[in-house]
Amino acid sequence: MHRFEHKIKDPNGLHARPAGLFVRCAQQCGSEVSVSKAGAGPVNAKHLFSVMGLGACGGDVITVTAEGPDEVSDAEKLRSFCEANI
Amino acid sequence: MRFFQKNKGKKVVLAPMTGKSVPITEVPDAVFSGKVLGDGVGIEPSGGKVVAPVDGTVVQVAETLHAVCMESDGGAEIIIHLGIDTVKLKGKGFTCHVENGQHVRAGDVLMDVDIDFIRGEGYNPVTPCIITNMDAVKDVSFSYGEVKAGKTAVIEYGI
Repeated sequence: MHRFEHKIKDPNGLHARPAGLFVRCAQQCGSEVSVSKAGAGPVNAKHLFSVMGLGACGGDVITVTAEGPDEVSDAEKLRSFCEANI
Repeated sequence: MRFFQKNKGKKVVLAPMTGKSVPITEVPDAVFSGKVLGDGVGIEPSGGKVVAPVDGTVVQVAETLHAVCMESDGGAEIIIHLGIDTVKLKGKGFTCHVENGQHVRAGDVLMDVDIDFIRGEGYNPVTPCIITNMDAVKDVSFSYGEVKAGKTAVIEYGI
């Protein structure tokens, strides 16, 4: 299992558009990927409605967990995505 | 009987707004036109009333009121995204009539959008209506042209 934390920079939080991009990135990972924030989740990061349902706002810290044979590279890919986009 | 067989099991998503249905690839936002969130149509609205496109549950109304997520009783997960980049309006121009978790019937009013205000603020009111769980549906087809909110089918799909 490989995990990292990310503080959401987008003041509007993880709304439809950025959530969709995040889910697309997670779907490209072979690992099982989950995401949670304090008090909500973990949920399947490959399912848009689950991710949006977290209601992650700007400033919230999310925890992303990858599990599987490629968990290290997948977590790194997701971390880069988060830093660049959300 | 053949006629009925043909549409057996097909489910429909009705236009959420009155206006013109266009291919999602023509919506001027790469996340939608690139089908990142899923596949569907764009509605260029001529009226500001937003209705439920299906019988189902309102899963989430965005805090900024610019998008509604619905889970249809038929199994499709649908996003109605009211305009492009309209998250930046922070709720201005939108009046919401439903709550998260509420069950609605197709045609029930979800929202009122002040299209003129949105245009005046420099935003495009074109409204993507998208199935986001494309892996759970099959034989999806789309209809384009003039549509009436809650009357005209814009998406058909099987489960």
